[in-house]
Amino acid sequence: MDFSATAERISQKVVSRGHAVEKTAIETKLRRLVEEFGVPLGEAERTVTNELAREFSIQGLQTGGPGEAKTLDALAPGEWVTVEGKVVALTAPPSPSISQTGIVADTTAAVRFVIWSRANAPVLREGNWYRFESAVVDQYKGSVNLKVHSGTTITEVPAGGTIKPVITPIADLCPGIASVRGKMIQEWEATHDRILQSGLIADETGSARFVTWKEEGRERLNPGTVYTIFYATVDEFNGRLSLTLNTATVVPEEGDIEVNRGDTSFEGVFVHLAPGSGLIKRCPVEGCNRVLSRQNYCPVHEIQPTFQYDLRIKGWLDNGVETREVLVQRAETEGLVGMTLEQAREIAENTPLGMDEIFLRFRDALLGRYFSCRGREMDGRLLVSGCTPLRFQPERLADLLNRAGGSA
Amino acid sequence: MTNGAAAFPATRREGSFEREPARRVFAGELRESRVHFKEGQDEKSPSFVLLPTGACCNRVFFVGTLTEKKRQGEQNLFYRARVVDPTGTFFVMAGSYQPEAMQQMARLDPPSFVAVVGKPTVYQTPDGAVLISVRCESITPVDKETRDQWVLDCAAATLDRLEKAASTPDGERARKEYGMDPAIFRKMAYEALAQLRL
Repeated sequence: MDFSATAERISQKVVSRGHAVEKTAIETKLRRLVEEFGVPLGEAERTVTNELAREFSIQGLQTGGPGEAKTLDALAPGEWVTVEGKVVALTAPPSPSISQTGIVADTTAAVRFVIWSRANAPVLREGNWYRFESAVVDQYKGSVNLKVHSGTTITEVPAGGTIKPVITPIADLCPGIASVRGKMIQEWEATHDRILQSGLIADETGSARFVTWKEEGRERLNPGTVYTIFYATVDEFNGRLSLTLNTATVVPEEGDIEVNRGDTSFEGVFVHLAPGSGLIKRCPVEGCNRVLSRQNYCPVHEIQPTFQYDLRIKGWLDNGVETREVLVQRAETEGLVGMTLEQAREIAENTPLGMDEIFLRFRDALLGRYFSCRGREMDGRLLVSGCTPLRFQPERLADLLNRAGGSA
Repeated sequence: MTNGAAAFPATRREGSFEREPARRVFAGELRESRVHFKEGQDEKSPSFVLLPTGACCNRVFFVGTLTEKKRQGEQNLFYRARVVDPTGTFFVMAGSYQPEAMQQMARLDPPSFVAVVGKPTVYQTPDGAVLISVRCESITPVDKETRDQWVLDCAAATLDRLEKAASTPDGERARKEYGMDPAIFRKMAYEALAQLRL
């Protein structure tokens, strides 16, 4: 009979509490109990564990008996727990040292789980209920995560009730697993080969970015459609939340909802035009779109002689109290500087300064002038969807004269 | 628009870059500024000028008429220019550390309306006189309408500062350092605005 797995499980528990213990000693004790005294292995495990717990004065080391399982909403990082739940999603393991990843849910919550290859765990199937004994709760990218290691026992159990995922308002999202109901309001150009789709999804309370990685059976969302998304993974990236839909079940819905696009507006003067404004060249490789250097060099795809031109404004808008970085895409840029992409390209090709000429013309058209920009704020930068020059307002003059003269 | 109670954030996040806003200030007020200091010990920490209306500024923005431009120096070439607003004159400099501004300056002909972004610096001449000039980051030709917009903007900012000064540390400091009557600056704003009506 092999006692090493059980001994390993016990020693891991003790080691996790900061005590050194000989695995072979545990194994010997187990063997003695089982082979000499005919104690069932489960009981032997309990006896040895209790003995060690007393020896080291550790509280709560006892293996959870049946019925002691915790609910998923009560997990805290650092705990060793026994939980029961339904596997609601399985995802491709990101590394060979991981055998399975996915989401397990019970009636209270859902968490991500990771099964290490070395855990020798059975292969879990989506839709089935399992009991995870002695799994470890840890924190990964800010959210609670259930880790299955070689000391964890997984057994299939009968379904434990109907699971109704709670829909979270987008404004209240936090890292972990969440279900949302929202409308896809923007699709972005993929910035990576592995991205199937990325964009923005919004509900009445706010908006969040989402990403779907390329994977068998994954489909794109349609802009303008409302979806209920069960069990998306919420990550924090660069201080912003992002929904990964690969774990999720996505159900399109009829009808429409009012969304909060999170638009803000800002009025001020262009005080600085950053390099990278004007006429730029972009990498033509599908899904890349990075800006090329002067020598047509893409940081990923190297020299790209058949680049695509684009126009944009990167600059700082300043109202005298606060200054904001703004990024204006081509469509809006053309109107502001009174130059189409085609015209800019022609000018650049026919003047000695080339693309610099466009930058200089942009500078003369924008710097020191008053504009009102509105758009979405992202990573401290305003992504402008609309921008208009401001005009002199005579009524403001009258107001200010009253204000300056009134209490003089 | 609200005027900044805190001229600079009390707690600057480590490693993060926060661009200093460009304060709107009339030449008549900037001319009165004497107090300048550095925030932090670092060689690169920003330096500030305390305005008499009670705000610290690291950068200014103004629109006025370029009336004079001179190229000076031989080894170290630089431009010296005068830009006039309804309340007085800004002294603007662009040297070899501001190559873009120098090139912009080279293409300008006085008289013309210009928009200037720059950093104010306080100098003391050997005979003890204090001069304040603006090291230019950019100077672009604009139209009269932009100038008029700036006068409104600057008057509003000046009045905002005056109203806030009673309750801010910078306001307190300005009262102690300059002891100037706020009415002077309210009148300055009024007169600048009144010129637009003509």
